Amino acid sequence: MSIMAYNGGACIVMTGKNCVAIASDLRFGIQQQTISNDYPKVYRVNDKCFIGISGLVTDAQTLHQKIVFRHNLYKLREERDMSPKVVTNLIANMLYEKRFGPYFTEPLICGLEGPDNTPYISGMDLIGAQVQTDDFLVVGTMTPAMYGVCETLYKKDMNEDELFETISQCMLASLERDALSGWGAVVNIITPTKLITKKLIGRQD
Amino acid sequence: MDSDYSFSLTTFSPSGKLVQIEHALQAAASGGSAIGIKAKNGVVLVTEKKLHSLVDVSSVQKISMITENIGVVYAGMGPDSRVLIKKARKEAEKYYKQYKEMIPVLQLVRELASIMQEYTQSGGVRPFGVSLLVSGFDEKGPHLYQVDPSGSYFAWKATAIGKNMINSKTFLEKRYNDDLEIDDAIQTALITLKEGFETQLTEFNMELAVVSSKNQKFEILTPSQIKDYLSNL
Amino acid sequence: MINIDFDSLEQPTLFDSLASDVKYLDKPHFDLPPNSNPGDFLRETFAHPNAPKPLEFAHGTTTLAFVYSGGIVVAVDSKSTQGPYVASRSVKKVIEITPTLLGTMAGGAADCSFWERELGRRCRLYELRNKELISVAAASKILANIVYSYKGYGLSMGTMITGWDKTGPQLYYVDNDGTRLHGQRFSCGSGSTYAYGVLDSGFKWEMNDEEAYELGRRAVYHATHRDSYSGGAINVYHVQRNGWKKISSDDCFELYKKYYNIAPINKPTN
Repeated sequence: MSIMAYNGGACIVMTGKNCVAIASDLRFGIQQQTISNDYPKVYRVNDKCFIGISGLVTDAQTLHQKIVFRHNLYKLREERDMSPKVVTNLIANMLYEKRFGPYFTEPLICGLEGPDNTPYISGMDLIGAQVQTDDFLVVGTMTPAMYGVCETLYKKDMNEDELFETISQCMLASLERDALSGWGAVVNIITPTKLITKKLIGRQD
Repeated sequence: MDSDYSFSLTTFSPSGKLVQIEHALQAAASGGSAIGIKAKNGVVLVTEKKLHSLVDVSSVQKISMITENIGVVYAGMGPDSRVLIKKARKEAEKYYKQYKEMIPVLQLVRELASIMQEYTQSGGVRPFGVSLLVSGFDEKGPHLYQVDPSGSYFAWKATAIGKNMINSKTFLEKRYNDDLEIDDAIQTALITLKEGFETQLTEFNMELAVVSSKNQKFEILTPSQIKDYLSNL
Repeated sequence: MINIDFDSLEQPTLFDSLASDVKYLDKPHFDLPPNSNPGDFLRETFAHPNAPKPLEFAHGTTTLAFVYSGGIVVAVDSKSTQGPYVASRSVKKVIEITPTLLGTMAGGAADCSFWERELGRRCRLYELRNKELISVAAASKILANIVYSYKGYGLSMGTMITGWDKTGPQLYYVDNDGTRLHGQRFSCGSGSTYAYGVLDSGFKWEMNDEEAYELGRRAVYHATHRDSYSGGAINVYHVQRNGWKKISSDDCFELYKKYYNIAPINKPTN
């Protein structure tokens, strides 16, 4: 069994019109055994940047702590928040530093970029190969199913309500086909003026 | 005597001074004059470049570019300035590699200042014999900083370093106002430089660089461009 | 002159097909790979670094059966997974062997369904030859003998055979090692340990039927919650004096909402 699937988990980021969304499932397991069903894999970096980290949870926690550490120093030094693009490059560099002994995680980054609050999403593999798209990105233990539903349900320029509905349906539908993710989901919508966080109930098996 | 304590860079004199640093500041203060003025929409740097008549002037450069939108001018020891410029360019590239974003002027100034401070406290080295004027344009607009051999740095609206700094600063105080546009600032800088100049100011015995909101690029002007400005004085 | 081979166009004679039917009636016949120990052969083949991934069969399961004062309750989940992929949530894991015998499915779905169907055929032949129903002991022994004869060939089965015969309600556990156990309570599959926890703590000999059904259902329900490879719907069967009866089929999510009084729509919690 792949170490990336040891704990299970799923994460989606999606763009809308002047908003972005990030969702993750809530399961934390050890192989087939479910330990917790309230374990979101989404972390807030700042009000305009969230990250979702799938893969091995111990590595995800460490990586998150290192990101928080770097972000705090950056804020003290530069008296501003990191933009999602900067966060992406920072994480990619942190991951490549461990090229020959990687963190077994696949991060997704989403947020609003620059003074115009342009929606921004990006992701990378476990050693920091970046990818930027303008629609959606998925990571986790059942990416084929996630790509399927996202490809089907995604539309361009959705408003925040439509985006919430779409990402929720994508998450819940793809979780149905994954034994290692699920047990509910959490969805975050980032807009220039507010943050919306909602929890969704999912199947408990 | 304070000078009794100048054998070691890192030893304070009883009066609380580090004499080597004072000497370094002296070295910087006796270098060729450089003037910087921050306008509403940009920054101008000018400096004198007095050379022996037989030196090919085009081979000497006192203003250097650090990144596309940041440049520096120095007063003091030329060779020391090259070390600092090399380090500054490296820091800027390190920042860009890390974040894929241009380094803000203040961050570069801090890196430079901390390098210069390190050379006042380390064994086996001496402080840099230069003062720097760092100018640039970033997200927050135009910036002008001065960095000294001690590692202290200041943000200025307009300032001067090198031989004539006292007189030039007095002159700038009278001439400066907050509504200055970049073209006015260039004029003022040239006049200030000319004021303390012992001989005729020409496009070959000075340098001029500008960074403005137009394209936010740090541009070192060619002698023919400088000539246009000089003819309008 | 051109020679044309017309042999392939000839129909087999009636006798040929009867003979082969009779041959297969006697016992199932499989083509075997050309080596003496297929189990070892597969292991070695797939251990090679360049080998393709070994076949992944549907594996995760929670099944249980227990004897109580009113007979036997059989409860199973219905999820089928291939690795992390959920292939189905509506698999029938209770195999209706004969109108009086039930078997359960854990391990390889194909192995269980094929051999328990074969067991059903043999039990029916026994009934026709002997003019009485086969005992659960005998039926489970047939299955145990079959799997034992294929030991080392890679069969994967963990099954409970239950029924009510002359000697009363009977429950046997049979697995692909050839193990055959008679007992009062069994659970099988990846979720079995969780199910045992609920089953053993909640079991009483004297229960009314509804209590017994609910015990079995709850035991499997809690197993599906903890075991990611179990889930779907929970099917409950009751083995009674004159044959088995299907009692219920409840989706785990519906049970969750019922047990924990969760509103049917997704309500934002914060």
